[in-house]
Amino acid sequence: MAAYPGMSMGEAHRRITEYLNRFSDAVSKQDAASLRFLLSLSSNSPFLLSLADALNTFHDSSRLIKHSDHYSQFSDILFNFFRSLQTYRLANLFDSYQAFEKSANAFIQEFRNWESAWALEALYALAYEIRVLAERADRELASNGKSPEKLKAAGSFLMKVFGVLAGKGPKRVGALYVTCQLFKVYFKLGTVHLCRSVIRSIETARIFDFEEFPKRDKVTYMYYTGRLEVFNENFPAADNKLSYALTHCNPRREANIRMILKYLIPVKLSIGILPKDWLLEKYNLVEYRDVVQALRRGDLRLLRHALQEHEDRFLRSGVFLVLEKLELQVYQRLVKKIYFIQKQKDPTKAHQVKLEVIVKALKWLEMDMDVDEVECIMSILIYKNLVKGYFAHKSKVVVLSKQDPFPKLNGKPVNS
Amino acid sequence: MEKSHRQRPNPSSSSSTQFRSQKFRSNPTTKDGKFTKNNSPNAREDFVKPRRASQQTQQHVDDSSNLPVLLGTCPFMCPVAERTQRERLRDLAVFERVDGNPRKTSSDLAVKKFCRTISIRDMPTSDLRPLPVLEDTLDYLLSFLDSSEHPFEVVHDFIFDRTRSIRQDLSMQNIDNEKAIYMYEKMVRFHVRSLHKLRSCTNENISSVHYLNMEQLTKALTTLFNLYDINRSSESINENEAEFCSFYVLLHLGSNSQPTGESLSLWFRQVPIPIIKSKEMGFARRILRFFRMGNYKRFLLTTAAEASFLQYCIIEPYIIEVRALALSCINNGGYKLHPYPLTHLSKLLMMKESDLVSFCGACGLEMVTDEVGNKSLLTKQTTFCSPKGASQSYGFLNLEPFER
Repeated sequence: MAAYPGMSMGEAHRRITEYLNRFSDAVSKQDAASLRFLLSLSSNSPFLLSLADALNTFHDSSRLIKHSDHYSQFSDILFNFFRSLQTYRLANLFDSYQAFEKSANAFIQEFRNWESAWALEALYALAYEIRVLAERADRELASNGKSPEKLKAAGSFLMKVFGVLAGKGPKRVGALYVTCQLFKVYFKLGTVHLCRSVIRSIETARIFDFEEFPKRDKVTYMYYTGRLEVFNENFPAADNKLSYALTHCNPRREANIRMILKYLIPVKLSIGILPKDWLLEKYNLVEYRDVVQALRRGDLRLLRHALQEHEDRFLRSGVFLVLEKLELQVYQRLVKKIYFIQKQKDPTKAHQVKLEVIVKALKWLEMDMDVDEVECIMSILIYKNLVKGYFAHKSKVVVLSKQDPFPKLNGKPVNS
Repeated sequence: MEKSHRQRPNPSSSSSTQFRSQKFRSNPTTKDGKFTKNNSPNAREDFVKPRRASQQTQQHVDDSSNLPVLLGTCPFMCPVAERTQRERLRDLAVFERVDGNPRKTSSDLAVKKFCRTISIRDMPTSDLRPLPVLEDTLDYLLSFLDSSEHPFEVVHDFIFDRTRSIRQDLSMQNIDNEKAIYMYEKMVRFHVRSLHKLRSCTNENISSVHYLNMEQLTKALTTLFNLYDINRSSESINENEAEFCSFYVLLHLGSNSQPTGESLSLWFRQVPIPIIKSKEMGFARRILRFFRMGNYKRFLLTTAAEASFLQYCIIEPYIIEVRALALSCINNGGYKLHPYPLTHLSKLLMMKESDLVSFCGACGLEMVTDEVGNKSLLTKQTTFCSPKGASQSYGFLNLEPFER
């Protein structure tokens, strides 16, 4: 391996020793912020990048590590970290991950022995890095025709870290951060059901008090658990969690707010709450614009069109089925509009809506439905309390209740 | 340094609550890995679909599953040792007996039983059947479906167990090529047909038989999806994959039914786009939409018009549910002075009038008859209940393709 132009052996030697000294200083001074910086491999900081070059120039770093007692005690952590950094720099992500995992494991052993929770921030860096490196390693594996397995391994490692933090001491406040990293791993892998056991630990174990956790972690946690509720169509729970995330999210983190809204909006729509247009514009959630419009206008064609146009996106985020179900509310709106129009013409007869009229309205929306199907839909709307009234089969008419014929959802999902 | 331990899943139980579980490894006899990069049009950006290679050479040093890949050598449908042992113990199914003798079988009749407790380490290769033997065994087993000599439960029980053993042998040898796909497709179809046929069986523990059938159906289906994944190439999608994906959707129709423990929304995320747009999936998704909406008219109409027999087998229990819902809605929302005419109702629910009368009765609803003998359903009755004991779905009016 040729030496880097401009970096002499001496220079390389110096940089490596500098890192080692900074590392041991950070530990002895309990300076978590510095330690965090030193471990953030994928941050591509100039300092670490030139360290990587130095390591690729001066190959015998292990000798340097053993040089002094200050850092030889951390030789496992350091040696493997160096190896990880070196291979990372050479774009060998698989080896980089392998070495990083070894380093991280060694770090955990040390971390366990430190009584106070001073090093939590550095631990967070490790948790983050191991996930990110694993993702990249897996991409490399896949592009070489091999089976990706490192993200799964990272998940196992993170579970181990969780176990280390799940105790009575002050370190336990770190558990939520690690949980969130686990969520990201599981969501990426598609093994979302594995979230269940961590959630159970967080929510039922007596050692944890949810309010003690850092706010940022609580927001992330609620975001992911809220998404799980969306997958399972538990709308009240999803509303609670995602709204929590929204209210407590830093308003300047617009990307995060957008992510929360992406899932909150379908939930709100399902309980009858429509977002204002400016919200959709501001956070670039225009895929919902037609859906909202369809709900406002009772325009079934528009809803179907919107679902088709953004089908892939909605399927991918898991909200497609939720949005599809809004059809019933769109029908309700359509009938309501017909009722209002009739009311203007003749208030005394407005509450009687001929099925034929609904058929015509739907035809105008290019939806082909016969009287039987309209009757079927009406009977469903009545059954689910979206419409109050009854239908007279022989006269082919719907008779609406004189009071509150179109009950609002009031924050509750449509009766199933 | 602790190695992160990955336990090799028990091959016999194929336990995958994890949808695309990474159980299958390469087999030296599989075709050369046709591999696509993750930027194929099927990959969705934010989701890295786990893929498996079909070359064995990719075992890495740290790979924790350093178990041997076995190649079976048993030339018979049943290993000789097991055969003689079962003869001695008189543990022979009726189909395995020579001239009905419970103590005598032959190499033509004996089929290897499923063994829950055996692990891959204890299975000698002489007891494992290689792929060609497994293929022949499967076809032999499925041929019993054509005979009517024995009651269906007995036939089902035999095929159920012996195919499970076939899957066990396949799994232990890590056979994951297209031939494995064909076999799994046949086995899933068997379980789906059994869904339908077991419904007309009357013995007392039929519900547990039914439950176990559903369990194996979903396990086999999950494994089949893994196989499709492994064998996927950028040029083609397996021709049957869409159909089997549609089964998955239909199995999840009911809001309480998550037989695989996973919500449909989650599953849809990883279905390749061409499959989503297929005719079979289009059908299944429409049925799903009608069901969730409560649109009983379209649900029944579309099922009758478009469902394949196998799809019908899965939808069948929901037909009853939807018809009951229809009655409930009509009873609930219909004008009291306009009883709903039976003729119209029978067209709407696509049932014979006589069947409809008994169905209404099963739902606790009465009919009235007018002066000229026309029956109608009274509405606003308070006695509506879920139909009890209505296990048969009364078919679809004058369409009888579903009585196969």
